[in-house]
Amino acid sequence: MNGYNFAYLDEQTKRMIRRALLKAVAIPGYQVPFGGREMPMPYGWGTGGMQLTASILGGDDVLKVIDQGADDTTNAVSIRAFFQRVAGVETTTATAQADVIQTRHRIPEATLRHGQILVFQVPIPEPLRFIEPSEQETRLMHALEEYGVMHVKLYEDIARYGHIATTYAYPVKVDDRYVMDPSPIPKFDNPKLHMNEALMLFGAGREKRLYAIPPHTRVESLDFEDHPFEIQSWNECCALCGSETSFLDEVITDDAGSRMFVCSDTDHCLTRRGEVA
Amino acid sequence: MSMLWPGLNDPVHDSQRLFRQLLQAMSEPGTLHLLDVAAPPEDGPIGAALWGAMLTLCDLDTRVWIARELDSPALREALAFHAGCRLTDDPASADFALVTPTALVEGIAFATGSDEYPDRSTTLLVALDRLADHGPWQLSGPGIPGWRRLDVGDDEALMECLARNRTRFPRGLDALLTCDTRLTAIPRSTRIEKRLTEDRPCMSQ
Repeated sequence: MNGYNFAYLDEQTKRMIRRALLKAVAIPGYQVPFGGREMPMPYGWGTGGMQLTASILGGDDVLKVIDQGADDTTNAVSIRAFFQRVAGVETTTATAQADVIQTRHRIPEATLRHGQILVFQVPIPEPLRFIEPSEQETRLMHALEEYGVMHVKLYEDIARYGHIATTYAYPVKVDDRYVMDPSPIPKFDNPKLHMNEALMLFGAGREKRLYAIPPHTRVESLDFEDHPFEIQSWNECCALCGSETSFLDEVITDDAGSRMFVCSDTDHCLTRRGEVA
Repeated sequence: MSMLWPGLNDPVHDSQRLFRQLLQAMSEPGTLHLLDVAAPPEDGPIGAALWGAMLTLCDLDTRVWIARELDSPALREALAFHAGCRLTDDPASADFALVTPTALVEGIAFATGSDEYPDRSTTLLVALDRLADHGPWQLSGPGIPGWRRLDVGDDEALMECLARNRTRFPRGLDALLTCDTRLTAIPRSTRIEKRLTEDRPCMSQ
């Protein structure tokens, strides 16, 4: 606390973000502009997610922060320490015990429950941005539901590689209306967006946009009838816990090209090893 | 004149707690939430839930439109003192509109946003005489597994107005329905139908 308002942001800023969040939830997948504030860390480190977390967090919430699935990487440790200091909240690494989970680029393996809120850190919220650089144009494309170019982009993958080569930030359509960037989560996590029990909020600090997927909302990954959406799979299983169903990271272990595959979700892996042992 | 309308006892933590209830209400349309907040003193049409939502969401950045039936000098004084929000006579420029079902039936033109910026729209704060689940109105859409039921009493026109609202999506109005300490939300994403017979739960998907 020490001289800061609870959860760092001032009350008027929180109210502005809260009003924007209600609109985001009311129009699932639509990007609501908000007055992004400077946070005591650089853009690209999760300032958008942090502003959302600061606006929703209460004193009795338990917070979990993950970076690429891990609780113990720099970004996760720093943000967790930040909220411990400015909000005095209890933190955890256990997915099931958390009320609010701020995440960079993963959705936890454990099934989320009703009442949990997942806050995503988003670098570039506009899925059409790489195709159309103008914000005015992309706004109009969303307004007219003009999403043909997105399919062209996926088709170009097929023409060039024989399959859809997009592996992360794979575009989705929310409740059959808005095409949305699910943030750079691996497409492995896309099916978890569909009809999830938890509320999912997305914050982009540099671009000053936030958006949301309410619980129990239809979320489809874009695809073609003859090239249906597929998730990644591995021939290996996790070298630590033996999981054959979780998202695996490849870790290089020496200069001779030795490697191992381990769960990207550290809490999932540790829990499983506890069960196995 | 003495200030009788209560503010939040602990503005930082009370508004956070109330906002989380509003967020949950909006993300799960049709669920009832009890807002634990001090009610306005007079036995007037504005209940605790409505007043709590206003204290949580309104400040000097927001414009509020007040329906004739709900307007009073005490309300204006309390809003100016606790929230500092601006009042407007132009419904199309209102961020929040404090209304009864009557105001909606009159067809007042609130802001529904534009196709490019549908979020620039009025949020309705509706004072009702009755609000319960298990009614004739069936809600479905984002935030609702299968369907939910709602009872708003005799306010048929209100629900028909909100049902029509859906056809303009993504433009539209979002509504927080309140009665005494109870609150529920019907965002523009919700589809509304009237069911005369009681469907059995197994009829839902």
